[in-house]
Amino acid sequence: MSSVTLRNVVKRYGQVEVVHGIDLAVEEGEFVVLLGPSGCGKTTTLRMVAGLEDISGGELEIAGRRVNDVQPKDRQIAMVFQNYALYPHMTVRQNMEFALKPQRLSATEAEGRIGEAARILGLEPLLARKPSQLSGGQRQRVAMARAMVRTPKVFLFDEPLSNLDAKLRTQVRVEIAKLHKRLGTTILYVTHDQIEAMTLADKIVIMKDGRIEQIGSPEEVFSLPRNLFVASFIGSPAMNLMPGVVAASGGGAALTCGSLQIPAPNALSRVLKTAQQVTIGVRPSDIRLVSSDAATTSYDASIEVVEYLGTEALLNLSAGGQALVAQVPASDRPTAGQQNVRIAFDPDRLHIFDTQSGQAIRPGDCGHVESIGGRHGTRDRLHREAQV
Amino acid sequence: MVQWKTMVWAASMATLLGGTALADDKPFAGVELKMLGIGDTSVTRVAPIVGEFEKQTGIKVHIDQLPYPGLIDKIVVEASSSSPTYQLLWVDSPWVGLLGEAGALEDMTARAKRDAKEIGLDDIIPVQLQENTWQGKLLAFPASGMIWMQQYRADLLENADEQANFKKKYGYDLAPAKTWAQYRDIAEFFTRKKGELAGGKPLDFDLYGASQSYSRVQGAITHDYFPFMRSFGGDYWDPKTGLCAMTSDAHVKAAEYMKSLIPFNPPDYLGLMWDIQSGFMERGEAAEAAYWSVRSVRLTNPKEATLATIGKAGFAESPVSDAGPQPTYTGTLGFAINAKSSDKEKDAAWEFIKWATSEKIMRRFADEGSGVSQFRKSILSDPALQKKYPYYKVLLDSQVNARRRIFHPFYQDMEENFGVELSKYMAGETPTALEALSNACNAVNSRLSIFPLEQRLRWIQDVPAEVLAK
Amino acid sequence: MSHTAGRNQRIALIFLLPAVLILFVTTIYPMVYALWLSFRNYDLSKPFIPRIFVGLANYLEILTSQAFFHALLTTFKLMAMTLSVQLVLGVGIALLVTQKLPGMAVARTLLLIPMMISPVVVGLVWLFLYFPELGYLNYFIGLVGLGPVPWITSTRWALTAIAIADIWQWTPFIMMGTAAALQSLSPEPYEAARIDGNSRWDVFRYVTLPQLKPVLISLLFLRAIDAFKIYDIIYVLTKGGPGDATEVMSLYIYRQSFTFWRMGVGAAASFVSLIIITVLITFFFKSMQRSQVTQAR
Repeated sequence: MSSVTLRNVVKRYGQVEVVHGIDLAVEEGEFVVLLGPSGCGKTTTLRMVAGLEDISGGELEIAGRRVNDVQPKDRQIAMVFQNYALYPHMTVRQNMEFALKPQRLSATEAEGRIGEAARILGLEPLLARKPSQLSGGQRQRVAMARAMVRTPKVFLFDEPLSNLDAKLRTQVRVEIAKLHKRLGTTILYVTHDQIEAMTLADKIVIMKDGRIEQIGSPEEVFSLPRNLFVASFIGSPAMNLMPGVVAASGGGAALTCGSLQIPAPNALSRVLKTAQQVTIGVRPSDIRLVSSDAATTSYDASIEVVEYLGTEALLNLSAGGQALVAQVPASDRPTAGQQNVRIAFDPDRLHIFDTQSGQAIRPGDCGHVESIGGRHGTRDRLHREAQV
Repeated sequence: MVQWKTMVWAASMATLLGGTALADDKPFAGVELKMLGIGDTSVTRVAPIVGEFEKQTGIKVHIDQLPYPGLIDKIVVEASSSSPTYQLLWVDSPWVGLLGEAGALEDMTARAKRDAKEIGLDDIIPVQLQENTWQGKLLAFPASGMIWMQQYRADLLENADEQANFKKKYGYDLAPAKTWAQYRDIAEFFTRKKGELAGGKPLDFDLYGASQSYSRVQGAITHDYFPFMRSFGGDYWDPKTGLCAMTSDAHVKAAEYMKSLIPFNPPDYLGLMWDIQSGFMERGEAAEAAYWSVRSVRLTNPKEATLATIGKAGFAESPVSDAGPQPTYTGTLGFAINAKSSDKEKDAAWEFIKWATSEKIMRRFADEGSGVSQFRKSILSDPALQKKYPYYKVLLDSQVNARRRIFHPFYQDMEENFGVELSKYMAGETPTALEALSNACNAVNSRLSIFPLEQRLRWIQDVPAEVLAK
Repeated sequence: MSHTAGRNQRIALIFLLPAVLILFVTTIYPMVYALWLSFRNYDLSKPFIPRIFVGLANYLEILTSQAFFHALLTTFKLMAMTLSVQLVLGVGIALLVTQKLPGMAVARTLLLIPMMISPVVVGLVWLFLYFPELGYLNYFIGLVGLGPVPWITSTRWALTAIAIADIWQWTPFIMMGTAAALQSLSPEPYEAARIDGNSRWDVFRYVTLPQLKPVLISLLFLRAIDAFKIYDIIYVLTKGGPGDATEVMSLYIYRQSFTFWRMGVGAAASFVSLIIITVLITFFFKSMQRSQVTQAR
């Protein structure tokens, strides 16, 4: 039984529709992240689940019960806010006590829960402090503890890390991951940060303009982006996207990209049509540097800028009139003064999109555009190496 | 342009020449006087016609009219200023001692004697002049004379049915009260609710038996209490010590009597300031009121009092107590000259006072139907005017045997302390009249006792007016 | 270098001088003069009384005077009445007008009107309402079958009547300050409480009120100082009467100074009451602030 289910959920403010029929099923114990740029409707969706916003259309179920018209307090949820939403004049302990107050627990039970939450989140020495005496990370831990003591069925997180600095963000991210592992409670988590999404999520829901672009595991959305938006949004540095045309189809299909001639992935040879306008995507990490006498197909590229990042380096290249970014081990980076390199990539690792529809072209597509939504192709090959 | 310049030149020449030409019969032409006055009959009647005085004399008089509460405060401040704004001051007779001892007012004795014939000095009721003296000096000139008397709804008291019912209930004839006991009976008898009959007609308002001042504001209650206690045989001072002596039986009885009238007064009696109190009489909503004659003239004027249209006002001398007939208190509202004015201004101010209080003007007020409470024998005894203003005769007769009001320099301490204490007693806050009176007297005496006996005795001594000496 | 420093100092002095002068003329000089006066026998109306130094006599007289303590007590009674009602009403109305309901912005502006009226005019407005016999208030009370109340003409009601007028005028002040504070509160804790299911009363009592407390203390502090000085409304409505029912400190001082003309006693009374009010208010608000701190711990 799924823990949270949205069926064609719509949100309108007056005439303006901001969420256009969301379908989503969150399984029991699953960690689902709503990811998207600001204004994509992810927070609105979360607030509809919380009950802080009315639902204009569609159905919302939590734990198998329709809750469209149920008060937030009766939805068995707890929420952690971007700016913590702590009661500023109350101590850490009082913040938790106040959250528990409506549950009318016995003093011992309440004390037990507060003690446990404090222990798990390492708040014991801070119980008597007020929020103003805590660091940002501590405050967010308090907010989590306050949500935790209520033992909800679902935790809702609304951009919980965006007010923290980079270092704290990593720390608290780990805390959240540990917490989920420990409690096993369903979590619906909103963020615009793909790293948070990739590291935390069992399932990522990528949203844009009030619609879901793709739902899938971090691996799926990384290695099999359903469309150009997902392809460009997921991955850092971003995927290289180059305009191309199908030069030849059938066996030995090939693509032309500027002055480059690129062999098409074998799997796609049957679905590509000659003269079809496509966008060729290649992850920077899929570009290799090869010696000029390598056997594989390789291309000349001139070096624009080299960015050294310690373990790796980013090369800003120009090949056949196309700007490309390559991510290579730092040891492989060109020496200073070097003007040109030779690069290669595995054709099977290319992502080919139909330029007109923006949709990824997949084997067996036969040229038609797959509908977006909940069904994601399990038939597809998965590249398990994707890591950020 | 040229024409305009010529006109200005011509106008200024005309002014200059005119000024010279008129210098002889208008010696004060061009003098400007300001008067600090009250917004009540003694000033409101004369204020609109000061233009006539200016035409006659060339003296321009500007009158500021202020409400009574606070007026003495402004006069004191004005008197203590070294460069005064006002040359003419409106003065209530009790203030004469305070302002006189401070040297704030010009002595008019010499001027009054010099112009005795012109002002008709002999025509003025002597006690009205005496009222305005301090240590024998005439410091203000009467502009309105007052007496404490009773006013009543003659139409009700003369109604045959009412008379019959009254006789049945009280066993004697209904008539203007001769005694305070009768006054209270009449008040009780006429205390009626809206809708009940009065004089054979249903009332469209509540009718109150009496309307007396119980407000502490500006000692309104004090000004009512003083004549009551006089009527009960009391007076202000102990002639041996010069201290407040208002705690005798007579004083207590007077306060208790006033309190016994409360049930027949409007329910908001503690708010009854003079204008509100006299308003009940003017609207015909009170059957009787023992009150100063200052506003009596309004009761017979349909423009100023509804009573004149729905009923009839009657007037009689103050009732008497067990103590028998007593000389009652008089009062005067007068005009005075600021002692700090220049000599020329003083002379000009005296010209104004002579004009404003002259028999001619006073008679004109009476003829016009509005008038003020008068102080001249010739006017008050005029049979035609007595017919028009029934209270004139009462005013004249009751001053044959009358006594001047309080004139002590610490008059304000009396007014204020008795105002508060009596108001508290009437409200039931202070249990007994004696306690209230003692509190007030003690407060006054705490200030007086530090002065030498000789000084205190001088302050209570009523030196005969020099202006009256032959 | 030292040349510029000296010049800067001179310029600073020139800029400061007007402020210092104005402060001296309007505040310090009158204060010092009043203090000087309070040790003297000074009767403005009776120049024949020697205006001599009398030491602490004026102070002794006040501190042994029943009327002074009566006035002090009346002032505090009035303060207690007005401040408590203004607080409750002001916060209540502020909660109402900060709701996102139609017409609230207009209502908020309209509610400020009483505050912008001069107290004398407020007094006159209420005089019409309270006026015995003709007053509107008694007319309306009469409509619901209640007898006429002698608002300003009975020792029992007069102080309440004054309090009502003052409450009418100054509740908007508390309302305005509270509304501003309410709007500056961050909305998230309220959403958190909504999700947690805390009752509206609990949210108000434990979330809103504690956060408003510093603002409310400041607002009350200002009101308390104002309430201690109340004069105009009383002067217009009752002039301290009936009896001495509404004789507050400012009227007592006025009466001493301008009815009995005892400027020295009036000045001494001003100083004594200034000291009392300063001590009491400071004590009161300090303790309120302290309780806030301890409550938080």
